[in-house]
Amino acid sequence: MPMKLLDCDTAIPERENHVYIKEAGEDTTQYLPISNAATIPGTLSERGCAFCGAKLVIGGVLKDTIQMIHGPFGCSYDTWHTKRYPSDNDNFQLKYAWSTNVKEKNVVFGAEKLLKQSMLEAFDAMPTIKRMFVYTTCSTALIGDDPKAVAKAVMAERPDVDIFVVECPGFAGVSQSKGHHVLNMGWIHEKVGQVEPKITSDYTINFIGDYNIQGDTDVLQRYWHKLGIQVLAHFTGNATYDECRGMHRAQLNVVNCARSAGYIANELHKKYGIPRLDIDSWGFSYMATGLRKVGDFFGIQDKVEDLIAEEEDKWKPKLDWYKERLKGKKMAIWTGGPRLWHWTRAVEDDLGVQVVAMASKFGHQEDFEKVIARGREGTVYIDDGNELEFFEVIEMVKPDVIFTGPRVGELVKKLHIPYVNGHAYHNGPYMGFEGFVNLARDMYNAVNSPLWALAGQNIQEGVL
Amino acid sequence: MSEKAEALVRFIQERCLWQFASRAHDREENIDGVLSLVGILLTGGSPKLQTPMDRLHFANANHLAAEVKGEFPWLSHLGKDELFHVVEAAIRRIHEIAVKNSKNGELRLQAY
Repeated sequence: MPMKLLDCDTAIPERENHVYIKEAGEDTTQYLPISNAATIPGTLSERGCAFCGAKLVIGGVLKDTIQMIHGPFGCSYDTWHTKRYPSDNDNFQLKYAWSTNVKEKNVVFGAEKLLKQSMLEAFDAMPTIKRMFVYTTCSTALIGDDPKAVAKAVMAERPDVDIFVVECPGFAGVSQSKGHHVLNMGWIHEKVGQVEPKITSDYTINFIGDYNIQGDTDVLQRYWHKLGIQVLAHFTGNATYDECRGMHRAQLNVVNCARSAGYIANELHKKYGIPRLDIDSWGFSYMATGLRKVGDFFGIQDKVEDLIAEEEDKWKPKLDWYKERLKGKKMAIWTGGPRLWHWTRAVEDDLGVQVVAMASKFGHQEDFEKVIARGREGTVYIDDGNELEFFEVIEMVKPDVIFTGPRVGELVKKLHIPYVNGHAYHNGPYMGFEGFVNLARDMYNAVNSPLWALAGQNIQEGVL
Repeated sequence: MSEKAEALVRFIQERCLWQFASRAHDREENIDGVLSLVGILLTGGSPKLQTPMDRLHFANANHLAAEVKGEFPWLSHLGKDELFHVVEAAIRRIHEIAVKNSKNGELRLQAY
């Protein structure tokens, strides 16, 4: 079947190029949705902005770094506390929101002095913190502030601090994907190589594209520790600013989220010759595959097999209990991009769940090549889906459960369809062996909860 | 392309991320690097692993070789030459899908 124009899109026929239904015998050389393109006027996009991609997804995860948002306070507030990525230092990064609180007068007269004052105030208020990210936003980019010059001046005044500037205002790209890109490229070119890590193992990696959502990094770190592998930098789950400056010394880059952080892995390969190994750390079988590949790279296969056997003994019976009860359920995944291809076969292989519809907010065509190759025939694949399309696709495929973010989740809940938070999770972590059991448990609880049907009842009937 | 090579291509498309690198030159390097090693491993050869990239390709190839042996029992009945033909046909087809005929507009951008 060629690309699909949904009924709700007749007034915006360009949307046909963004919706695909896979049929037998087709491959991505025939049909591939347009993606990472500007949202078509008239479509009610669910995307985030480019600034959000830099701050909320990657930079804001660092556990020892002030995140100074140079703009109106809303840009700071709206990218704070909406994703749960804890740390082992009492969650410093989740407690505070920093902003220069730009007002109209600053737009008229310039806001560089305000930025400098805010940076100094923040360092003074938090004297143990010596690292800072500064982000431009739409307003401060439009007035032409030069935050890099300000950062240089502050670092000259205070030699014990280090500052990284992310110049990626919200309008810089078509989605948050641009923010991932700008932060990755800025970091590799300006900061990597400045700190020499202390090497304590014969096996060193960077683990890239994992943000410790509800403890994902902790699960993975336990595996690396058992294998005797030293992680020089998690990019950026539970990581420090300086750990990420020492990424150049790793022997291998292990990449989970290729969309948000594939850029830095590619650049580390180009600049320092470090190979890039892509794995799926979501999925029970996938996790074993990923660990085996790391084992083959370092020649530590026996250790890896021992670890897998130990984890499978512990978690496989639980996974199978859920598989027995979830088999044949229909799932929709409406998330950012990579989770579509990370999850579609994993839930089918490990849980017997069929993914019948997938929508990506910021995936590129590379992500659609992966997900269409891995996904089922008859499944709907959508780029930059809008609300009316979601309504229509729900009618079309009738999913038993939808994994999506809180924004689209509100729509799903109002339709009384079981919903699981596919971005920040319901009760994670979801990575690793135990993580996939957690995901299965949340799916099982969602599908079997009586609340969805109860919420659809009108309790006033017969009363008024 | 033979049915055997088709089956192998479908399996690789579903299972392997290395064929979907961001840029064409990385895809080509991975496809050739991994699948040529798969051919060597399936015929009982010992690959030479001299560089970090050799070890990377081995890590991907070793797992794939083990998987396809389990998935396609007919592989063990093929002669060495026949097996290399199947693998070579698969390499050509993966190149067509992932590189040559790919509709991905970012594949040939210069920068990452």
